[in-house]
Amino acid sequence: MRAIIGYGNSLRGEDAFGLDVIKELQKLSLKETKLISAHQLTPEMVLELQEADEILFIDTCHDEKNRYALACSLTEQNGLNLSHHISPKTIIYMLKNLYAKFPDFFIYSMMSGSFDVIEDKRRYRESVEIVSRHLECY
Amino acid sequence: MKTIVIDPVTRIEGHAKITIDLDCDGKVEDAKIHVTQYRGFEKFCEGRFYTEMPAITARTCGICPVSHVIASSKAIDEILAITPPQAGINIRKIINLAQIVQSHALNFFHLSSPDFIYGFDAPKEDRNIFKMMQTHPQMAKDGINLRAFGQKIIETLGGKRIHPTGIVPGGVAKRIEESQKQIILEQIPDMLKIAQSALEFFKTNLHKFQKEIDAFATFPSLFMALTNENGTLEHYDGTLCFMDSEGNILKDKINPQDYKEFIGEAVESDSYLKSPYYKPLGYEKGMYRVGALARLNIANSCGTPLADKELKKFKALGGGKPVLNSFYYHYARLIEIIYAIEKIEELLNADETMSEDVRRTSKISKSRGVGCSEAPRGTLFHDYQVTKNGIITALNLIIATGNNNLAMNAGVKQAAQAFIDSKNITDGALNRVEAVIRCFDPCLSCSTHALGIVSSKIEVRDHNKKIIQVIDRN
Repeated sequence: MRAIIGYGNSLRGEDAFGLDVIKELQKLSLKETKLISAHQLTPEMVLELQEADEILFIDTCHDEKNRYALACSLTEQNGLNLSHHISPKTIIYMLKNLYAKFPDFFIYSMMSGSFDVIEDKRRYRESVEIVSRHLECY
Repeated sequence: MKTIVIDPVTRIEGHAKITIDLDCDGKVEDAKIHVTQYRGFEKFCEGRFYTEMPAITARTCGICPVSHVIASSKAIDEILAITPPQAGINIRKIINLAQIVQSHALNFFHLSSPDFIYGFDAPKEDRNIFKMMQTHPQMAKDGINLRAFGQKIIETLGGKRIHPTGIVPGGVAKRIEESQKQIILEQIPDMLKIAQSALEFFKTNLHKFQKEIDAFATFPSLFMALTNENGTLEHYDGTLCFMDSEGNILKDKINPQDYKEFIGEAVESDSYLKSPYYKPLGYEKGMYRVGALARLNIANSCGTPLADKELKKFKALGGGKPVLNSFYYHYARLIEIIYAIEKIEELLNADETMSEDVRRTSKISKSRGVGCSEAPRGTLFHDYQVTKNGIITALNLIIATGNNNLAMNAGVKQAAQAFIDSKNITDGALNRVEAVIRCFDPCLSCSTHALGIVSSKIEVRDHNKKIIQVIDRN
């Protein structure tokens, strides 16, 4: 089973990228795929990922210079952390160390300079569609 | 004078630094928490339509949004002059208790337990949740399961885990289905076992922390909490009560609508966190504590069997007087988890909870409304003023964490004086200074309405206020 987690704050402009990708994917009938929308990653989320062979995280990444550029990272972007929200790396760490689960994982990020509003709606929508199409065919 | 700065303060929610001022002899003269973030909800909510407030103010926080939605909805209930039907009130209470479970569980299992397992002097590379997952995996899983239990209830009854939309002015958006009730009830025995086992672990290990128990914000202060007519633990309704450190009731049965008569709000130039105080005693003398410790000090009983058994033992620590040691916030939170699980079961089994009548509606009847509830970290106030057309003209929020600001500062100073020696500033000593703040489980993003990352810093300053050491904990 594949799990796709789009996360971000829907009130904070382009931070909603992951959520909007999930909305697009919900219109499709993706087989053996669990779609998860979340404001932020939290520890208990690992319980929903027990059956996942592959986990895809979709997020917005702050980068003033390369706005709307897309990146797919094969390694974790963030360090280990655990406060009231956690990083993808922490999710993977918990799955490995607490539940002996070893899913493959990828992080899809859209670079953004705006967490207030969607500055260029056309380019933003294009990015949402590119990632959605890629995940549909992937 | 020298100053030590702890920046960032770690394993808390939000952005803060601590400065520790040393005198000419290298002794700690003063220590302060500076909350270095600002958001300004009180300002940008002006001009919004009143019905938007629960959704907007929920965004104050990603951890305790339920508290904000409840306080906000209660403020609007006042403006509309309506009382929600009993089923609506009970469902709100269940969601609020579920949040208490998940929030307290996160603090104990994932933020604070590394200190309890490895000790405050353990190397910092070992004193974290990741080490704990390796050495105490079941404990880490228990924390995850309790969190999941609370979050799932919020999602089921409130519509979403974070920023739920199901709590609305006049009640809640939908009733509880029988199948939803059964799913929650089936988990109760396992959740109670986890909570009891965590409390046993904590009590069994308490003897190792006598120094911390004595020096982590252990001093006389007032306590404030909501209380009900029966004097049992209350998180949703009731009136405000102030108790002094001897256990005397200074003032009770305060209608939350009148909070301004009793609570003053001071502002310090070096922090974005307000410093509320008990007005009749004045600034600083009127320092009070809120949250689990205050609630258990003020409540006569919990009103549920397992929690009451534990409350008796807890109250014995104070020898008939309030428990003054902030280290016991951890203890109090664990008892509250047990209480919340028991109370959720009781509320779910109440016939009126299952009624289809969950919401009332009305038109604007008053120009002001105050909503008050007990958030995981303490008493929360939302105070709105509206025009007759429903436009918000003024807004005041007193956030649970803010109520503890004076006590947290006094606690940091006390711990710094107890553990910091300018000739030998150890990581363990600095960790203890941070751990005092962690006792209060502050949510700084919430209380200042922050924009920023979780981080903290400790600065040490000499007698000329020159920074001589900075410990970055990011």
